[in-house]
Amino acid sequence: MSFLAYMLRGLWSKKVRAAGLTMAVAFAVMTVVSLQVTSSGLEQSAAAVISIGKADLTVAQKGVSDILSSSIDETELARIRAVPGVSSAVGVLVETEKVSASVPLFIEIGIAPQDLAPFGVTVVAGRPYAADATNQVMMGWRAASTFGLHVGDRFHTNGTVYDVTGIYSTGNAFGDAGAMFPLVALQAYNRVPGMVTLAFLKVAPGVPVTTVARRIDFRLPELTSIRTASQFGRADRNLVFLQAAVNGSTILAVLIGAVIVGNTMLLSLFERTRELGLLRAVGWTRRRTVGLLLGESLVLALIGAAVGVCLSFGVLAILERLPTLSGVLHADFTSAAFARALLTAVAMTIIGGLYPAIRAARLTPLEALSYE
Amino acid sequence: MSEAIRALGEPAAAEGSQPCEVDFDAVVKVYPGGVRALDRVDLRIAEGEYVTVTGPSGCGKSTMLHLAAALDVPTSGTVRIGGRDLSAIPDLSSFRRNQVGLIFQLHNLIPGQPIIANVEAVMFGTHRSGHERRNRAMELLARVDLAGREHRLPTQLSGGERQRVAIARALANEPRLLLADEPTGSLDPAAADLVLQLFERVRRRGVTIVMVTHDPGIARLADRTIYMREGRIVEPGL
Ligand SMILES: Nc1ncnc2c1ncn2[C@@H]1O[C@H](COP(=O)(O)OP(=O)(O)O)[C@@H](O)[C@H]1O
Ligand SMILES: [Mg+2]
Repeated sequence: MSFLAYMLRGLWSKKVRAAGLTMAVAFAVMTVVSLQVTSSGLEQSAAAVISIGKADLTVAQKGVSDILSSSIDETELARIRAVPGVSSAVGVLVETEKVSASVPLFIEIGIAPQDLAPFGVTVVAGRPYAADATNQVMMGWRAASTFGLHVGDRFHTNGTVYDVTGIYSTGNAFGDAGAMFPLVALQAYNRVPGMVTLAFLKVAPGVPVTTVARRIDFRLPELTSIRTASQFGRADRNLVFLQAAVNGSTILAVLIGAVIVGNTMLLSLFERTRELGLLRAVGWTRRRTVGLLLGESLVLALIGAAVGVCLSFGVLAILERLPTLSGVLHADFTSAAFARALLTAVAMTIIGGLYPAIRAARLTPLEALSYE
Repeated sequence: MSEAIRALGEPAAAEGSQPCEVDFDAVVKVYPGGVRALDRVDLRIAEGEYVTVTGPSGCGKSTMLHLAAALDVPTSGTVRIGGRDLSAIPDLSSFRRNQVGLIFQLHNLIPGQPIIANVEAVMFGTHRSGHERRNRAMELLARVDLAGREHRLPTQLSGGERQRVAIARALANEPRLLLADEPTGSLDPAAADLVLQLFERVRRRGVTIVMVTHDPGIARLADRTIYMREGRIVEPGL
């Protein structure tokens, strides 16, 4: 029998307590993972906007509370194009519209027809809209299939009836779930003439993207350049607050979990003082007895982490189906979420187990043996 | 039963064995409350001797045994086992694991573990592999006539059977010194008899035995009986 087998056998003999500790860890992990996955899902949804276009660099207004409230005007767009190293800049208006109760956040993208190809949009059916059309639309293929629309059909949104002239694909789930309109028409409907949300840039061959990014940040201090989705928080204060809230809640969950783990371990220590004394009396080292206690908790914490991740799958499946969250929340189980689960469980055990472990280490065999 | 109880203990030349004479030199033990449990005890027990310690309750028998097992330290004086001053041994865990076998009156076993695991557990951290630990535990349990019951929990055994497990465990690491504190104190006479037969077998293998008992009949089974009163060793009949 190995030490591990001995430990597992001991845990099995105290199933109820072991299950209690496992559940405590599982709930903390579930909370942490659900928060993390939700927030990273929200971040991904929002960040997906910048990934619609095939750009080297995206430029947004700095310090806005959410990226979709960024606005860049024509003068700024011209100044961006004048930055050395910028080969092209496409201005794109991104708006959301409530199409129906079941589609509360529909993505509407305003883009000039000549910019579609540079932006990375492929027309998969029909043809693009005309630049000056006021009632023409191209549907993303996901949106077309959601609404059951084909080329030549009508699409009702923005209080207007649009003719579907084409179906497009961007290769980006977020972009393909929306619709594209002539830029001017969408600007007019949203009463933001001449304004775009984001500028998508191509960098001249041979020029490092970072160099161009630095130049833009320097020359246009009211704007900010974004290269990756993770840099997105630079522009979006909501996401910064969200991440801070998630981190805060994680720390809280770990601390609460640690208290439960510590309390359970302490109870278990009291209950097993005689046992530990006996083991010390027959030659177990201090290290081995403490190792037994900590090892047991660690095993339970790892099981708890696994259970917690499973629970969070369930919780998120439910959250995603809630009407108020559908379409907004995309559960996004990244490896970071699993790493966080593991980290939470281990941190809880170590923090919670510290004091009981010290108590266990201080026990002398005889004290422990005479403990009632 | 007696033929089932085969040889216990190891030949005198067993691996890792160390000299094991017990030597108490002016040993005083005062507990924190002020109780003087041992009052200048001088005592020598030779290698291979079978000694019983007897005396009224509270006279210091257990205290003496605990000091010999390095479970506690004397207030003054020296305890030597095999000539080594226990206060100078850096690794007492290793000493307890390898040099002495310890048997208490009650609560000898870990309740949540099957008896085989109870025996194997004292061999963690020794040179034996997991496989060797398992084989040795099986063999020891067979020697105390518990073959076939290795996977029972302590609660599924009688008091006498539990004490036999404790003996098997005490012998697991081949100690040359066996310390037992009223090992038959809570057994009925038949069960006590089986346990005493086991001690007899162990003793024949040259293992030094110190057994605390307040049963005069049992005390007489030994080579020598030490009488204690109020923390001192006294002459019989005093
Ligand atoms: N841990 C302790 N703290 C204080 N007093 C103790 C402790 N252990 C034993 N004693 C006292 O020391 C004396 C001897 O105890 P002990 O060695 O257990 O006697 P015996 O085993 O002969 O009955 C008793 O008076 C007992 O109450
Ligand atoms: Mg006693």
